[in-house]
Amino acid sequence: MLNIRGLNAYYGDSRIIPELDISVPKGKIVCLIGRNGVGKSTTLKSIMGLVKTPEGSIRLEGKEMLKMPSYDRVRLGIGYVPQGRDIFPQMTVRENLELGLQPKGGKGKLPDYIYELFPILPQFEKRKGGDLSGGQQQQLAIARALASEPKILILDEPTEGIQPSIIKDIAAAIRKINEWKGITVLVVEQYLEFVLNISNYVYVMEKGSIALEGDSLDAKSVQSIMTA
Amino acid sequence: MSQVINTLFNGLSLSSIILLTSLGLAITFGLMRVINMAHGEFVMVGAYITYVVQQLFVKYVPQSLFSLYYFAALIAAFLAAAILGCLLEKVVISRLYGREIDSLLATSGISLVLQQAARSIFGSQGVNVNAPSFLTGGLSVGGVTFSYNRIFIILLVAVTMAAMWFVIYRTNFGSQMRAVMQNRPMAQCLGINSRRVDNLTFGLGSGLAGIAGCSVALLGSIDSTVGQSYIVNSFIAVVLGGVGKLAGTVLGSGIIGFAGITIERFMSSSIAKALVLILIIVFLQKKPQGLFTIRSRSLDE
Repeated sequence: MLNIRGLNAYYGDSRIIPELDISVPKGKIVCLIGRNGVGKSTTLKSIMGLVKTPEGSIRLEGKEMLKMPSYDRVRLGIGYVPQGRDIFPQMTVRENLELGLQPKGGKGKLPDYIYELFPILPQFEKRKGGDLSGGQQQQLAIARALASEPKILILDEPTEGIQPSIIKDIAAAIRKINEWKGITVLVVEQYLEFVLNISNYVYVMEKGSIALEGDSLDAKSVQSIMTA
Repeated sequence: MSQVINTLFNGLSLSSIILLTSLGLAITFGLMRVINMAHGEFVMVGAYITYVVQQLFVKYVPQSLFSLYYFAALIAAFLAAAILGCLLEKVVISRLYGREIDSLLATSGISLVLQQAARSIFGSQGVNVNAPSFLTGGLSVGGVTFSYNRIFIILLVAVTMAAMWFVIYRTNFGSQMRAVMQNRPMAQCLGINSRRVDNLTFGLGSGLAGIAGCSVALLGSIDSTVGQSYIVNSFIAVVLGGVGKLAGTVLGSGIIGFAGITIERFMSSSIAKALVLILIIVFLQKKPQGLFTIRSRSLDE
């Protein structure tokens, strides 16, 4: 589904990611875990076209995206939930959800499954996005990314600053998205238990490169890299 | 009593003229944060387009339909200023986003170019527009006369605002525009072509200046500096109301208009202008963010 080969990403002149290779197979839930500042978010921003990536290759279903602007990448079938959620604070919940239809040109109806995944959303429809709690905003951000029924959902630290009961809901929702619709998922996280709970494959990242990867990593070996 | 009504009407009329010239600025400066010094020249373009359309009607359209020229002029002025705005955004301003001082200098230069172009085409003498027949005269109520032409401008502002509200809050382009102005990278990550939205938004703001030019043409003679005389008040109205809030611009225009006319009753008009400016300077010292401020949880964090 998504293949990254020999990717280099830069902030200004400093190279954050040297020569990264990652594969996300179709229909799987893949997690990228690591400590703060190892380049996890930068990897996702590279996929979205939000940081400079002069060298390498990012292919979605074989289509090279490296030189595309963000909005064209999204239209290939990517749903993106950024770190900090980036809800539009001045717009209502409904308007935020409807913006999720933009990859399809802003037309059409919101799919029913986003309300099945997040049954609390309808009761907030008229509230401003900025008035919701962190957990509610996170659910709204995921629903918004799913409104266009993307091929791949990309989440950046969905558990950050969220209370444990809602983290459980979010984990359940990610699994359902994958099971019901066969949507491929790529998650960046620091929360080990959450990662091992939902993922089919895990990449452990350290200083911009992959230190460890596998489909059944044990908590101890990941922990040792995370705390090293 | 009649004097009070007269003052109120004049205040409303002046406010609506300021508001009409400020609406476009509320978009390009308020929402997009581009200091476009050539905005006044878009007002001028709208005024000259009104003149040109009138001349064309005199030449090619039967006398009985002459008054309709004004509606054709409104559309033509909007389109001409909007296209000019899109062009300016594409060629100059889009290369200068995030560099306020540079775009200020560049657009000042463009303002001079446009003024000189107007002088070259239409001459340095002012030209006059004949108001359409339905706008001559006035409505007399109990000894007070409301001129049709000013009533028309008040209505024009109301209609323009309603149309703007519709575009911003009820169309797909409007939601794209709001999304881009609130969070550009996220809007792009939802598949919105932010460059195109910037371009069209700037065109919309400029087109509104063109409509303002159409109404300015009714009020006096048109020359190459006609835009300059309105632009200062417009910038003040946007800043006073709170940059980025359309409702603030409405209130800001109202305050400048009514304060000016009220003070004028007791003093000369130039003293009134100075006094209004001083009051606004004092107010902005105390509350630099203007009358309206954007507050929300996510911005406070």
